[in-house]
Amino acid sequence: MQDKKTEQRGLLRKRLLAALAAGTLALSAQAQFESPSEGVYKDRVDWGVMMDLSGPASGSQGIWTNGFQAYVRSINEKGGVNGRRINVLAEDSRFNPAQDKINYEKLSTQTPVLAISGMGSSSSQVSLAPTIRGGKIPIVGTYTHTKPLSEPTSPLVYGGFCTYPEMAKAGVGYMTEKLKVKSPKVMVVSIESAGGVEYAQFIADAVKKYGGTSSLVTMKITAADVTPQVLEIIKQKPDFITIYGVGNTAILTMKAMHQYGLKIPAFGISYLMSPQIYAAIGPEAGPNYNVISCFTPGGADQSAGNKEMMAAADKYNHSAMKEDVNYVAGWVVGQMAVQALQLAGPQPTRARLVEAMSKGFTVNSNGLAAPIVMTPTDHAGPSRFRMIGYDYGAKKYVSFGEFADYEKYMK
Amino acid sequence: MFIQVLLSGIALGSIYGLVALGFAVVFKATDVFNFAQGMFVAFGAYFAVTTINLLGLPFPLAVAAIIAASAALGVVIHIVLIQPLSGRPMLSVIMLTIALSIVMRAVIEILYGVQSRTLSTPMPTGIFLVGDVRISQLHLVAAGVSWLCMAAFGAFFKFTSIGLLMRATADGHEAALVSGVNVKVMNRLAWAIGAGLAAIGGLFLGQLQIVSPELEHIGLLALPAVVIGGMQSIPGAIIGGLLVGLIEQLSATYISPKSSDILVYVLLLAILMVRPWGLFGQRELGRV
Repeated sequence: MQDKKTEQRGLLRKRLLAALAAGTLALSAQAQFESPSEGVYKDRVDWGVMMDLSGPASGSQGIWTNGFQAYVRSINEKGGVNGRRINVLAEDSRFNPAQDKINYEKLSTQTPVLAISGMGSSSSQVSLAPTIRGGKIPIVGTYTHTKPLSEPTSPLVYGGFCTYPEMAKAGVGYMTEKLKVKSPKVMVVSIESAGGVEYAQFIADAVKKYGGTSSLVTMKITAADVTPQVLEIIKQKPDFITIYGVGNTAILTMKAMHQYGLKIPAFGISYLMSPQIYAAIGPEAGPNYNVISCFTPGGADQSAGNKEMMAAADKYNHSAMKEDVNYVAGWVVGQMAVQALQLAGPQPTRARLVEAMSKGFTVNSNGLAAPIVMTPTDHAGPSRFRMIGYDYGAKKYVSFGEFADYEKYMK
Repeated sequence: MFIQVLLSGIALGSIYGLVALGFAVVFKATDVFNFAQGMFVAFGAYFAVTTINLLGLPFPLAVAAIIAASAALGVVIHIVLIQPLSGRPMLSVIMLTIALSIVMRAVIEILYGVQSRTLSTPMPTGIFLVGDVRISQLHLVAAGVSWLCMAAFGAFFKFTSIGLLMRATADGHEAALVSGVNVKVMNRLAWAIGAGLAAIGGLFLGQLQIVSPELEHIGLLALPAVVIGGMQSIPGAIIGGLLVGLIEQLSATYISPKSSDILVYVLLLAILMVRPWGLFGQRELGRV
């Protein structure tokens, strides 16, 4: 009897030792896992960002990059993902497709990264689309949306900003209903870029549903004066206008319209929501200017996500940026990137990351945006909107309704 | 509509003329083709943000501080960078000014961040209505001040003893040196004036739109202005600036915004091919 018990104990001990050895082996394999040619090391993962950090769009894209880096930093402070901190390699595109080509090659091979976020220039997206779609590096959270890169849906590309078709639908629908216009006449004021042309087409499609018409007037991104454009607005007499471009585009347009005594309501694309823009437009012209947005600017509500982001912004000396929608967007894409990395598992590779994301996932930003649902066939990104304005008296943003209220315009 | 566009073109062209004048002064005095002139415009706008919005100085004092700071910057750049390269090939100096503009942009981004800044000044922002024509008060002030500065500079250059010494230095360094003129001081003064004029342009451009390093690109439109007008000609720089402003606005209205780049630079190319000394410059003849 005693011998049998001893024998059983011995067997149990052997099994335990074997299990322990196997577990240790597995853990050490994970801990040892590296794929330097894809930016994965024992203690870190390299993650690329391609944005305009010093060119004409740096005022918004630089802030987005700060938001992204802030979220990543907050995660690194908690130990990173699967024991690896995320090391952000931010490359400056200067809003130049040629520079973005160089940056993409650099992040592919010279200083390889697991994935890339951002890609802020629509012209760059259009020119790099064949290379990206035929390559292996996933783009997680694009800053802008262009058809050549996003359509048809690619397992390598995931949108990270408000989608233009839905922006157009929500904006046109809301303004048409608010102004009680039967066949709206809409004018698009845009910078000269690939994205501007696409946006004008989306507006035209949205307006057509209401039996209306739309037209387009363009300006240079570095315009110093927009008298010609405002004269065209006076000539066309639109019911409302929509603005696509950089901060200067909105400021010049609204200020010039005010100078000409025009009180035409306007809404800007989501990128054009920042305290600086509203301050520059001023309280005389500002009430006519709203922004259609899929993100909630910092301080606009008391959601858990908003509070967390605001606290981090203060901690990392980004206080001046936390009310800028671009900061919020960068932060949310940071959440997207971290979630994607978690999905890829403890031995991440580009292929594993792509495989995990392509099955579909949902990003819950805790109130900073509506839940961002990525399905195997839809990688568009944030696609629920509401109009947001600015109360100069209270010095805070005001939102017109909830995200759900705008569903009716999406049909 | 035509008159409206003409007026905005004249206003914008006046600011370009002011910046171009600064460029021409520097070139005439020191033979330096200053590619950093656009960044002097941007620096002027940022000095304005600092003195008016951040420090809250009274507007007249702020303007004096902006001009003084810009002039000092011009002098420092001349002493530290330009003067040591005196006598070197033109290519070296041009490369230096290009590098300088990149450095100046980086300094702005480090000091002020990548965000654009709003410039709030007491300058009027309303309009005058003359029949159907709307005249922006800010445009009017910008044009008026630009012309005042240009006239003041012209008077200084022509009727003062220092202006005479500057003209003598510009005409011939060696002759001026032999005559006892302190050529270094005259050159520094030229850089101070060039930077100061650019800063005034920056103040208006920053108020017209938003303060960002991108003001450099607008300021760089002074380069075709000065080549078209004549690099050695002070009146030529002013007229060149006006032409560029008018071409920009008229082409944006009647053709397309992008066409203004084509038209301005086609004119530049035509001038360089047909009359390289500019519309108002003087042909230089060398004796062998």
